[in-house]
Amino acid sequence: MTRTPSFSLTGIALAAALVLGACSSLPADNAALMNARAAFDAAQNNAQTRQMAVAELSTAGTALNRANEAFKRGDSLAEVNHLAYLASQQVAVAQQTARQKTADAQVLSAEAERDRTRLAARTSEAEAAQRLAQRAQQEAQAAQRSAATSQMNAQSAQMQTADAQARAQQLEEQLRAMNAKKTERGMVVTIGDVLFDTGRAELKAGSGRDMGKLAEFFKSNPQRTALVEGFTDSVGSDAANQELSNRRAAAVQAALVDLGIERQRINARGYGKAFPVAGNDNASGRQMNRRVEIVLSDDSGQVKSR
Amino acid sequence: MSQTHLRQRFKSAPVGITRRTVRLWPLLALAMIAACASIPPPKAELAVAEAAVVNATNAGALQWAPAELRTAQDKLARAQSAMNAKENGKALSLANEASADAQLAAAAARAAKAQRTADEVQEANRVLREELNRKQAAPVTRTP
Repeated sequence: MTRTPSFSLTGIALAAALVLGACSSLPADNAALMNARAAFDAAQNNAQTRQMAVAELSTAGTALNRANEAFKRGDSLAEVNHLAYLASQQVAVAQQTARQKTADAQVLSAEAERDRTRLAARTSEAEAAQRLAQRAQQEAQAAQRSAATSQMNAQSAQMQTADAQARAQQLEEQLRAMNAKKTERGMVVTIGDVLFDTGRAELKAGSGRDMGKLAEFFKSNPQRTALVEGFTDSVGSDAANQELSNRRAAAVQAALVDLGIERQRINARGYGKAFPVAGNDNASGRQMNRRVEIVLSDDSGQVKSR
Repeated sequence: MSQTHLRQRFKSAPVGITRRTVRLWPLLALAMIAACASIPPPKAELAVAEAAVVNATNAGALQWAPAELRTAQDKLARAQSAMNAKENGKALSLANEASADAQLAAAAARAAKAQRTADEVQEANRVLREELNRKQAAPVTRTP
């Protein structure tokens, strides 16, 4: 194989040019690189990405620099595209990392908020429970007070009952002592003519004990009143008998007033020979008819009239 | 053009060729070979890309960033094929891109998961607040 030197030299130069050409095209502009630069600038201008993905953004910057240098050096289109692609992917990694860290921060703050909310709820629940307990205590105290009041009322009622019983007993004793008879008009105390001289209306000295018992009765039963009724036998004129019965009733009334009983509580009235309790045809009957009856009122002060 | 062929050509070089030119031939040839054929098989880069894909898969990329993960897996497979075919330059580029894609897949998966968690916690807070507001509006009273 023979060659001229000039051919050989030209061939070598041509071969070298071809080989180099295959490895280094010089593009006027590179779309992939421009995209990578734009993405990187955008990421760096984003505060979130800039603050939360410092290391990743720095890695992306290094990758972008390598792509830029390859482009300046005039490396092959494929090489520049490749490096630009790597830079773009690193920018995307930085963005995703920032997104992740932002979400992590949101989780933390949401958890803190949840704890605060729960604490507040527990506090308010505890306060409500305390209020409830206080109210229950107050209710219990009120119930206790009410029970105490009831007990006092019961005691008081018991005492009143006892008192009433005592008073009833006292009344009964007094009535028995006065020899009071139960009639349909109420209790009636009859004072026989032994207290009066014949034809006279002045009470005898011995009447003091009977009048005293009556006065005592009216004093211890201030609600009671009485009607003092005078009666005679049929001997003598009706007018004289009426007059005598009036005066005897009045004498009893006056005696009671003298013993301290209010006059308005004691009414006096004479009936003459009316309403006899026995026959006037014999001495003992006439004696029974000469009498003064004291009709006691009921507890409300009412005296049933004839 | 192989080296042996060139050498044969030098041996039978005609007298007209100057000594200077003869010295230049091997230098030029070496330079040309260095420019295009000095790349060793990118075994390390492939291993890195493989690890990155595993890492992305572990980060849940299959569920949360499937497109990015598929791109990475695809490039990793192509890098492997290129290396098997002794296209080491192509294999290196693909391996590096597969690594970058896998990193993005992992980051995107982590971000999506974190976002989902944030949404869930915030929703749970909203529900909790609503429930408490309802309770306060109608407090449970003690029955005596």
